[in-house]
Amino acid sequence: MSKSEVDVPPKGGFSFDLCKNDMLSKNGVKPSYRKTGTTIVGMIFQVGVILGADTTEGPIVCDKNCEKIHYMAPNIYCCGAGTAADTEAVTDMVSSQLQLHRYHAGQESRVVTALTLLKKHLFNYQRHVSAALVLGGVDVTGPHLHTIYPHGSTDTLPFATMGSGSLATMAVFESEYKEGMTVEDGIKLVCDAMQSGIFNDLGSGSNVDACVITKRHKEYLRNHLLPNPYSYINPKGYGFPKKIEVLLTKITPLREEVQVIEGGEAMEK
Amino acid sequence: MSIFEYNGSALVAMVGKECFAIASDRRLGVQLQTIATDFQRIFKIHDRLFIGLSGLATDAQTLYQRLVFRHKLYQLREERDMKPETFASLVSALLYEKRFGPYFCQPVIAGLSDENKPFICTMDSIGAKELAKDFVVAGTASESLYGACEAMFKENMEPEELFETVSQALLSSVDRDCLSGWGGHVYVVTPTEVRERILKGRMD
Amino acid sequence: MDLSLMNDLNAPHSMGTTIIGVTYNGGVVLGADSRTSTGVYVANRASDKITQLTDNVYVCRSGSAADSQIVSDYVRYFLHQHTIQLGQPATVKVAANLVRLLSYNNKNMLQTGMIIGGWDKYEGGKIYGVPLGGTLVEQPFAIGGSGSSYLYGFFDQAWKEGMTKDEAEQLVVKAVSLAIARDGASGGVVRTVIINSEGVTRNYYPGDNLPLWHEELEPQNSLLDILSSSSPEPMIS
Repeated sequence: MSKSEVDVPPKGGFSFDLCKNDMLSKNGVKPSYRKTGTTIVGMIFQVGVILGADTTEGPIVCDKNCEKIHYMAPNIYCCGAGTAADTEAVTDMVSSQLQLHRYHAGQESRVVTALTLLKKHLFNYQRHVSAALVLGGVDVTGPHLHTIYPHGSTDTLPFATMGSGSLATMAVFESEYKEGMTVEDGIKLVCDAMQSGIFNDLGSGSNVDACVITKRHKEYLRNHLLPNPYSYINPKGYGFPKKIEVLLTKITPLREEVQVIEGGEAMEK
Repeated sequence: MSIFEYNGSALVAMVGKECFAIASDRRLGVQLQTIATDFQRIFKIHDRLFIGLSGLATDAQTLYQRLVFRHKLYQLREERDMKPETFASLVSALLYEKRFGPYFCQPVIAGLSDENKPFICTMDSIGAKELAKDFVVAGTASESLYGACEAMFKENMEPEELFETVSQALLSSVDRDCLSGWGGHVYVVTPTEVRERILKGRMD
Repeated sequence: MDLSLMNDLNAPHSMGTTIIGVTYNGGVVLGADSRTSTGVYVANRASDKITQLTDNVYVCRSGSAADSQIVSDYVRYFLHQHTIQLGQPATVKVAANLVRLLSYNNKNMLQTGMIIGGWDKYEGGKIYGVPLGGTLVEQPFAIGGSGSSYLYGFFDQAWKEGMTKDEAEQLVVKAVSLAIARDGASGGVVRTVIINSEGVTRNYYPGDNLPLWHEELEPQNSLLDILSSSSPEPMIS
C-alpha cells in the first residue's frame, strides 16, 4: 500500500501507528490531555428532563465558557465529563449514528438507542476512552435520564450528577428533589445544585448552562446563570511604555475579489 | 519532563476588528540547549488561514505536511479554499485519529472567513477544540501568555494596535519562560493584506 | 475534597453486592440489595441488580457493573432470537448456559458473578450460579456478591427444602437485610423477584423498614456523657 493511501484512511476509526510513542510514556514522559474538572447534572421533572453543566475547562483554566451539553438528537442531549476530546468525539460519533438511524427508521430516536450506542463504544475501549456522561431526553416512551461511566456501565435514575463536583450537587438533589416537579422548580433546583458545584468544587466554575427537554419542545439555555462575571478588564486597554522593535516587515497584498455582475454589458460593446 | 516541553514554544492568536494576529517565538531548543533562533512554528494554509503548532517540533512538521496535503486535496475536489471552521474540524479529526498515540502538538488556528469575520481556536494534542472570542495561547509559555493577554486585550482593535498588543504580550511572556524566546514572528491578517513581522527580543 | 475520594470517583463502577436465589416448592425467589459504588462513594443507592432476560428468566448481577450489564444484554439478545426460532419460551437451563458460555469464553476480560433463576414447564423453578471463572452449578439456593460471606452459615441453618412462597421470600429478605447490616458494600433497599407457573411478582422493601439487627449501644466514656451531665465541673470526680 502506498503512503498516500495510508494518509487518507479509507474508513473512520482510530489509527494506532503512532503507538510507538507509548514507549515515551512508559519512560515517564506522559502526555496530559485537557480534562474537565466538571460538574454535570440531570433530573426528570413533571413532563421532561433538565440537564445542567458548568463551563470551565482545564487544570489552569483553558476555556472559561466551553459547552459541555452536547447534541445527540433533536429530542436527546448529553452532558460530558472526563477527557474533553473523548466526550466531544464519542457524542459526535453517536449523534451521527442516530441521525443515520433516523433516516433508516423514519421516526424519532429513542434515548435507550443512544444509551446502547454510547455504552457499547465505551465498553469496547475498556475505559481508555474516558468519558463520563449524563444522558437525558424525551421520546415516545416518556422522559429518560441515564448516567454512563467510562467503563460502559449505565444507571437509570430520576436525578443524576457526575464529575468532580458530583458530591456537592448530589447533596442538594438528595435534600431538595421531589417527584413530579414543575419546570420552574426543576430549573431552580438544577441551578441551585450547579452553583453548589461551581462554588464548592475547585475544578468547576464559571457559568451555568441548562437544557430543558419536553415532548416536542426543547430549550437550550446557554449561560443561563452568570455567577462569575469579568470584573478586572480595563476598558481603556493597556498602555505600553516602549514600542516593540521590529527587525523586518513584509507586507503581502491579498488578491482583490472579482465581482461578477450577472447580466452585465457584453465585452464587445 | 513532559514531551511537550522538549523543544519549547510560545504561540498566541488574537482577534481584532475585521482582522486577526497570530504570533510565535523563534527558538528551537533541545530542552535547555538552544539549537536554532529562526525556527518556524506558524504555517500558512492559504492567504487568510494560518496554523501555529506548539509542542514537539518533529510532530509539528509532520502534522503540517499532512494538513497541507489534505488541504490541497480539498482544493482539487472543491475548487475553493477551506473555511477556518472546516479546517479546525479537519485538524481535530486528524489529531483524534491518533487518540492512543498522539502527535505531541497543541495547534493554534487563526483565519478570516469570507465575510471577513476572524476565527481563532486551539486544541489539545488529541483534538479537543476550544473556540474563543478574544485570544488563544499554546506552548510552554502558555501560562504567562494567559496572564499577559488577559490584561492587555481590548475588543475591536485596529491592525496596528493589535500588532502592538500581541507583540508586547508575546515578548513579555517569553521572558518568563526558559524554553521559548529569541524574538518573535508575527502575522497580522486583514481583508486586504498580510503583514508579517520579525520582532527583536532578548537573546537569552 | 478528600483526595482518596477523588480517586474513588475514577475507580471502576462496581457492585459490592448481596445477591440471593432460592428455590421453593413451585418456583424461585431472587433477592438483591440496591447499592452501586465507585470506591467508597455510593454512585447509585436505588439500582436494580435483578435484570430480566426473558418473560420467565431473571438474573442477579454482581461484580463490575459494566461487565455484568454487557453479559446480560448479550444473553437477553440471544434468548430473544432463540425464543423466536423455537416458537416457545426459553428454558432456565438455556439461559444459564448462555451466561456460562460468555463468562467462560471471556473469563480474562470479565469480573462478574451471576445467579440465574426462573421457571419453565419442563423443570419447574431452577436456580443456577455462574461464579467468576464461568463454572455453571445448579443449586437449590445460591448466594453471591461481597455480602454473601456473611450468609453461608445462616443459609446452612435456615434453608429448608419444600418451603412455601412466603417462607422463601421472608428468608431472602431477612438474609439480604442481615448482609446489608454487616457489609459496607451492600445497602439501600431489598428487591425481590418471585417467579413461578403463575408469572412474575416484583417486590421491594424500603431500607427504613428493614430490621437493623444491631441494638443502638449506650455511649461509654464518651464526651457525650460529660456534656449531658449536670455537674458544672465534670472533670473533677
